[in-house]
Amino acid sequence: MLQNELFNNVIRDFNAGYWELHTNPDTEIWSLKFYEQIGFSSKDLKATLAYFLEHLIHKDDIEVFRDNFLNYRKNTIHFKQHIKILTKSGTYKLFRCATNNELPVNIKSETKLVFFFEIKLEPNQDITKDNFYYKETAQMTATGSWYVDFQEKKSFWDFETRRILEYPDDYLPSLKDSANYYAADSRQQAADLFFNCAMVGTPFNTEIKMVTANQRIFWVRAIGKPVYNENKEIIGIRGVFQDIDEIKKKEIRLQRSMDIITSQNSRLFNFAHIVSHNLRSHTSNLSLLVQLIEDIDNPEEKIELVNEVKQISYSLNTTIEHLNEIVAIHTNKDQERKKIRFQDSLDLVTSGIGQMIAYSKTTIKSDFTKLEEIDYIPAYLESILLNLITNAIKYKHTDRDPVIHIKTYIKDNHKYLEVIDNGKGIDMKLFKDKVFGMYKTFHYNKDAVGIGLFLTKNQVESLNGTIAVESEVDAGTKFIIEF
Amino acid sequence: MSSTISLACIIDDDTMYVSLIRRIILAKNLCQNLMVFHNGKSAFDYFQVMTSSIDEKNIPEIIFLDINMPVMNGWEFLERYTSIENKLKKASALYVVSSSINPVDINRAKNNNAVKDYIVKPVTIADLESIFSRKHN
Repeated sequence: MLQNELFNNVIRDFNAGYWELHTNPDTEIWSLKFYEQIGFSSKDLKATLAYFLEHLIHKDDIEVFRDNFLNYRKNTIHFKQHIKILTKSGTYKLFRCATNNELPVNIKSETKLVFFFEIKLEPNQDITKDNFYYKETAQMTATGSWYVDFQEKKSFWDFETRRILEYPDDYLPSLKDSANYYAADSRQQAADLFFNCAMVGTPFNTEIKMVTANQRIFWVRAIGKPVYNENKEIIGIRGVFQDIDEIKKKEIRLQRSMDIITSQNSRLFNFAHIVSHNLRSHTSNLSLLVQLIEDIDNPEEKIELVNEVKQISYSLNTTIEHLNEIVAIHTNKDQERKKIRFQDSLDLVTSGIGQMIAYSKTTIKSDFTKLEEIDYIPAYLESILLNLITNAIKYKHTDRDPVIHIKTYIKDNHKYLEVIDNGKGIDMKLFKDKVFGMYKTFHYNKDAVGIGLFLTKNQVESLNGTIAVESEVDAGTKFIIEF
Repeated sequence: MSSTISLACIIDDDTMYVSLIRRIILAKNLCQNLMVFHNGKSAFDYFQVMTSSIDEKNIPEIIFLDINMPVMNGWEFLERYTSIENKLKKASALYVVSSSINPVDINRAKNNNAVKDYIVKPVTIADLESIFSRKHN
C-alpha cells in the first residue's frame, strides 16, 4: 500500500505521461496525461505500438524508438531517447522518453513503464543541432557508431569508427572480411556475440581486441543491440566501438603490479612467520634450558645441560643461514641474466650430485629440443634444477627406482620447464596450499627440512616467473615452471 | 612435591623442546609417565585407537599441543580430536603450547572449548608446576 502511495506521488511529481507495458498479449496502456500532452482523446486514436509508429511519431525517430522499445520490452534494456510526437494541432512536440530507470531508487515497479517528458524548446534552439553535438561527443570520447544490415548484407561505419580503426574516410567496410577487424584471439568471441545478437536478440557490451588497418592491435569496448522491423524481426545490429586502449592497458598494468605485490606480500608474510615461529622456538628453548640449569644443583647434570646449548646454537645458525639464502635471492635478482643452455646447467647439477644419483639408481631423461636455452641467472637455474632433482630422489617411491623426466617447451609465447618424477607424490588435498611454504614437510622422512621448494619458488618469482605443482600419491609429482 | 598426574602427553616436533620438558618433569617429579608424538597425525592415530579401549589408564590427563608441525598441524589435530573426544573414557586437559604470538592463533585456541589454555613459549618451570598441580578430572 505504502509503495503504491509513494509511486503515485512520484508519478504526480514527474508531471509526465506514460505507457504501462503489459504482456500476454503485448499491450500498452497509455496514461491520461499522455493523451493530454498531445491533445488527443482516447477516442481519437488506437493505443497500440503499431498505430503510434505509423501515425504519431516523427518518421526520423521511428527506427531508433522501435529498437529501443522492443529491446526494453524483450530484454529489459533501459533507454533514454528524444522523440517528436504529432499533436492534435498538427505540429510536433519534443519529448524525452525514459524507462523505469528514471524512478527513484526506493520505488520499484513490477510493470515496465515508458515515460514521456515534455521538453520546452527555447525559440531559437533547433533540433538539428543534435547532429553537431553527436559528432562532438563521438570525437571527444573516441566512440564510433556502426550498423550491420542483414537485409542489404552490408556494414556501415560512421566517420569516428573509421578513424579509430585507422581506415580512410572513403573505406567501405565489408561483411565478408569482418573477422579481420578483430585480433586473432578475439575472433571467436566476436563471432559468438554477433551470432547470439542476430539469432536471439541478445545485446552485448564487452571489451574486445580489434585490429586497425595498420595492423595495430588495440582494446575496444564494443556495444551492440538488435534492430527490429515492423514485424518485430531482427534485421540488423546497431552499436558502437569505443577506443579504450589506454584505459585497458593501464588496467592490465595495474593488475600485473597487483599480482606482484600480492606475491611479495605473501613472501613477507612468510618472513614474519619465520621470525615469529622459527627464531622464537630456538630462543624459547634457550630460555627453558637456562631455567633448568639454574634450577638443578647437581654440577654434573649442569655440565651435561651446558652441552645442549651447542645443539641450540647449531639450530639457530641453520635457521639464520636459511634466512640469509632467502635475503640473497632478493639482492641477487638484479644480477645479470645470461644466455644459458639447459643441457649445460643440468650437466653441472648432475655431476655435482653424481654419487646421490648413482646410489639411488636414478634415471634422468631430458628433452630440451623445443627450447634449448634461456636468458636467466645461471645460479638460479642450477639451484632450481638441483632442488627439484634432489627432492625427486629424496621422496622416491619405496617400490621403484626414481625416473625423472625434464623437458622444456614454448606455449602461447611463454617458456616452460617441467620436472616430472615417479616418486611417492604429495597428497594435494592435504597440502595444496603448503607445498611451497617454508619449513613445510609432507613426508615422514627424517631429513625433510622444508626449505628447498620455498627457495625455488622465491627464485622463480623474483624473476617474474611462476611455479605450479601437480601430484598424485604413489604416482609421482610434476613441477611446472613458467619463466 | 609428589606427582598426582600419572600420564601426560606432548605433541610437538621440536625434539630439543621435548627433551627439555622431559628433564624438567623428571627433575620436579611432575608426573609418572610421559608420551610424546612428533606430529598431529601420529597423536590422532593413538587417540583413535583409544576410543575403543576401556582402559582409561592409557589416556593422558594432560595434553600439550604445538601448532606448527609437519604432516598434520595442531589445528588439524584439534579438529579431529574434538570429533572423537566424547568417545574417550576420560577427558584430558588440553593446552595449546606454541611460540606463535599471533593474536589470530591465540584467539582461535581460546575460542575452542576443548582447549583449556594457550601458553606462549618459552614455558617456565613455574608454569609447568602450576599446570601439573591443578586438579584435573
